[in-house]
Amino acid sequence: MAEPRASPPRVALGVLFYEFLKVSLLASGGGIVWAHRIAVDQRRWLSDAEFTDIVSMCQFMPGPNVVGIAVCVGARLRGLLGAIAATAGFVLIPGIIGFLLGVLCFRHTGVPLFQNVLTGISAAASGMMIATGLRLLRAYRQRPPALLFAALAFAGIAIVQLPLLLVLLVLAPLSIGAVAIAGGQVR
Amino acid sequence: MNDPASLGRLVAHLALLSSISFGGVPTVLPDIHAYVVANGWLTDRDFADFLAVSQAIPGPNMILMMSFIGWKVAGLPGALASAGATFTPPCALYFVAYRLWDRFRDAPWQKLARAGLAPLTAGLVIAGGTVMARTADIGWPAVGVTGAAAILLLFTRLNPLWVLGGAGICGALGIL
Repeated sequence: MAEPRASPPRVALGVLFYEFLKVSLLASGGGIVWAHRIAVDQRRWLSDAEFTDIVSMCQFMPGPNVVGIAVCVGARLRGLLGAIAATAGFVLIPGIIGFLLGVLCFRHTGVPLFQNVLTGISAAASGMMIATGLRLLRAYRQRPPALLFAALAFAGIAIVQLPLLLVLLVLAPLSIGAVAIAGGQVR
Repeated sequence: MNDPASLGRLVAHLALLSSISFGGVPTVLPDIHAYVVANGWLTDRDFADFLAVSQAIPGPNMILMMSFIGWKVAGLPGALASAGATFTPPCALYFVAYRLWDRFRDAPWQKLARAGLAPLTAGLVIAGGTVMARTADIGWPAVGVTGAAAILLLFTRLNPLWVLGGAGICGALGIL
């Protein structure tokens, strides 16, 4: 049975829009950090546990995960309209600004200096992505089967270069099955 | 290249991939990369540039990345259609799923699914980063930057913007 929880505070749609606009603009590389800071620490819309619950769901849903956090926090506070307001805040204005900036940048991609800067940034960005994956894995370091399945998923894509859907369709049932068999050991 | 038929195929492909991008859009980047290059819409270099710029600009990085690809294929309409195809299907899924998730949040199957899928997610994100590093890392110094960025993000509380900025400066100095 679900434990009772406090009904969420009444939040204006404009505030949802504005706060997720902020998350989006601040969050180059680390959206979850800023979403947590604003939704839990500053605005106190959600408890830590509620936030964690949303993030775990978003982690195994398809799509841009941080947008998923916007959808879920919006939905929790104000239903469908809240989800739309938070998502619009996250995507709309930052998307337009970013697109214009990007197109400006691409005018100069032929310039060697600019090319070199981009090489540096993408080298670092790929390292940050690897680190994020390792960080997600950290919670599972005590569970060898989990590490094995993470390694298989990694190898399927990065080494054997199989299509994602195939990797998922094969590994997801096996991994969930392994958890079911391990039973009591989990959490 | 301005070609409505190509845009239709790109948008359909992006909508499909974003709907199966478990672990976030970066996990389907290798597939998108293969698709757009095989169709002759983008070169490897274009892809790496788009990725670097979309990472460097604050905002919804992966949506920006797809809008750049769409822009290259079919101009502004291409950009809008690609961005929409990238976030609309997952947003609808998130909303429906959140409703269901919330209703059954204490069900045993939910805990099983969470525990089973999370490690796969982590492996897929690491793979996405690795594939990206393969196009970006043109020499050992660049590999060093990738490793350093990973370590800094894992073990320090440094703002990622500093890491990206520092790496850009290394590039500008011609070290990489």
